[in-house]
Amino acid sequence: MNLAASIAQIWALTQKDLKILLRDRTGMIVLFAMPIMFILVMSVALQGMFDVGSADHPVKLLVVNLDQGALYLNQEEMHLGQAIVDALDGFDGLDIVTEIDGQPLTRERAEALIADGTYAMALVLPPDLTQQVIDAVSGSAPPAPITVTFITDPGASSQLTAPVLAASAATMNRTVAYAQAPYRIRLALEHAAAELPPEQRAWVAPIAKALIAELTTTYNLGDIGGESEIRIETETPASFQVEQLPTAVEQNVPGYAIFGVFFIVGVLASSILNEKETGTFRRLMAAPLPRSVLLLGKLLPYYLVNVIQVALMFAIGRLIFGMNLGHSPAAWLMITLATAATATGLGLLVAALGKTESQISGIATLLALTLAAIGGMMVPTFAMPPFMQQLAKISPHYWALQGYQDVIVRGLGWQAVLPETGVLLAFAVTFYAFAVWKFRFE
Amino acid sequence: MSPTILTALNLHKAYGPIQAVRGVDLHIQRGEIFGLLGPNGAGKTTLLHMLTGLIPPDQGEILFNGHLFTPEAMSLKATIGLVPQELALYPTLSAWDNLIFFGRIYGLRGRTLRHRVEAVLDLVSLRDRARDPIQTYSGGMKRRINIAAGLLHQPDILFLDEPTVGVDPQSRNAIFEAVEALNREGLTILYTTHYMEEAQRLCHRVAIMDEGRIIALDTPRRLIQEMGEGFIRVGVPADQQQAFVQHITPLMGVHDVIRQDGHLLVRLQEPLRTLPAIFQIATTHRIPITTLQILEPDLETVFLQLTGKALRE
Repeated sequence: MNLAASIAQIWALTQKDLKILLRDRTGMIVLFAMPIMFILVMSVALQGMFDVGSADHPVKLLVVNLDQGALYLNQEEMHLGQAIVDALDGFDGLDIVTEIDGQPLTRERAEALIADGTYAMALVLPPDLTQQVIDAVSGSAPPAPITVTFITDPGASSQLTAPVLAASAATMNRTVAYAQAPYRIRLALEHAAAELPPEQRAWVAPIAKALIAELTTTYNLGDIGGESEIRIETETPASFQVEQLPTAVEQNVPGYAIFGVFFIVGVLASSILNEKETGTFRRLMAAPLPRSVLLLGKLLPYYLVNVIQVALMFAIGRLIFGMNLGHSPAAWLMITLATAATATGLGLLVAALGKTESQISGIATLLALTLAAIGGMMVPTFAMPPFMQQLAKISPHYWALQGYQDVIVRGLGWQAVLPETGVLLAFAVTFYAFAVWKFRFE
Repeated sequence: MSPTILTALNLHKAYGPIQAVRGVDLHIQRGEIFGLLGPNGAGKTTLLHMLTGLIPPDQGEILFNGHLFTPEAMSLKATIGLVPQELALYPTLSAWDNLIFFGRIYGLRGRTLRHRVEAVLDLVSLRDRARDPIQTYSGGMKRRINIAAGLLHQPDILFLDEPTVGVDPQSRNAIFEAVEALNREGLTILYTTHYMEEAQRLCHRVAIMDEGRIIALDTPRRLIQEMGEGFIRVGVPADQQQAFVQHITPLMGVHDVIRQDGHLLVRLQEPLRTLPAIFQIATTHRIPITTLQILEPDLETVFLQLTGKALRE
């Protein structure tokens, strides 16, 4: 049996199964219409459904507090950065992390933790935060906005990051307003004193001093609001090449595409069982057709369908929603091919393990939903408890999603997706090896 | 005598503790229709699977045209055709697409492939329905396409595994005619069935299998001549069967009595001569005979004689 004959046989098997698949409308609906429906409808309909950020499931926020403090009116040191951290810590839905392994966070460490997916966002308070706040109100420096940096993983859902960002802004504004209140009162008194007769002005200075002392000590900087000069700049970790933060579609399409790809498991396994039951495998095995060629020919059409599925999902994202597809088609292709190999491998494994249609249907549905849920298709992994975040790594869905997010929302190239591709291929090889071991043609 | 196309020597196959085939020897002559008869569980299908390379024997060897045959012998596999007992077709595809696909698996291409597909469709008289999906066919039509798919590559030997199961009389006749036409053109056919009338009509020689062994092998005519003693099937009330058997067993010409489906099968040397004596005994002992059927010697009675079992069990 030469190679050309084997390739011709594989192609004949592939064409045959593609024809059968095309005529199986229900199967096509499962494979194509369902994930498309998810993308078109669920992206809009399920906005805000995630319940992370509640007291039971607080969102983790890294805070890099570089603020060195400054001397305040009463010549005591004030640390606005720490005041902001304390205020944020008071939120029920936030879990503030300022130290890792007993060491205060640095910006570089925070970026690395976001880049590797351990955390989703960080707030960086600059070293001169307090000084800038005092300078802004005292007029000792030209007016300039005080910049605080919010670093976020572009793969993180905006449904998660936006409330954290808003809460951080509100907390900082309030804290700064507290700090600026005594200064503003003193300025107001000084302005009022200027209107008084000269002999009365001397009375104002001690009154102002006593009032400020009272506000800063007894009343903890007073309770007076005011406009803030704080400006929050949102950035992504420096290792990412992101031109703009991803849209909801860019965040959702990869997840739904992966979800759809793994529905091939049940379709492929049922098709193999059907070939066994109807005797077509038996007829083919009596032909001059090596079993390896038969299996390859059986898997290839489903593999192709998977690749077409993913291409179609992303094409819809691009054409209908103007979705950004990243800078590296090669990286996208690597993840797509590896994900499809994993899905077909899992399909073969289910075919090897399932002896009846109901067994196959049950196993395939269980795997499709469980691996999707564990892998972060339904709830982002960073919103999961720590043990679930570790558990996510046993799901090929997780690695596929990380790969697509590297390409699309983090703007990375093919080198960056080598680890995800490698893990997916390791999954595929494991599935194929176990499947071939357990597989029976009869 | 025609040269031997297929030789099986001392084939054994076990599934766990069950010995499905135990020491089978076969020599199939080129150009003959060879029948493999036996009840369900006799080992026919296991033997067929070994002969077609689906499973390897535990022991023994198979030779095709003198060459050792194994499941990996692809060039030899190209010379055999298998028509499985199941309707091994893709129901949502048309007959044409099915046949094109199986033809391509055997290396047929282009015009040759199309001509072969047309030829086998003509043979099974289904060319006019070729473009319809298989799932719209009747059971008999599906069986005919099932056979056509095994003929595309013009094999030297065709294995037909129970090709008429569940088939209407019209399609059964069409299948018989196709088998006879193929054989006239020189095709060797190994035909497994548990319908003895099919074997008697079609087969030049038959092998009768039981419990994994071949227990008789010859032409149907010789088997019937040599072993085909008469049987009568007698209906006697259940509570009197034992007494009836005790009374008739000593009679001259009665070989033995087998209980089957509530009846008694009495094997006789010459039924017509022995019957009056049997009636006499029944009258004398007041044992009512409710039914009586004289079974003409055929392969069924040969099998009964050999095994004590009915072929359709």
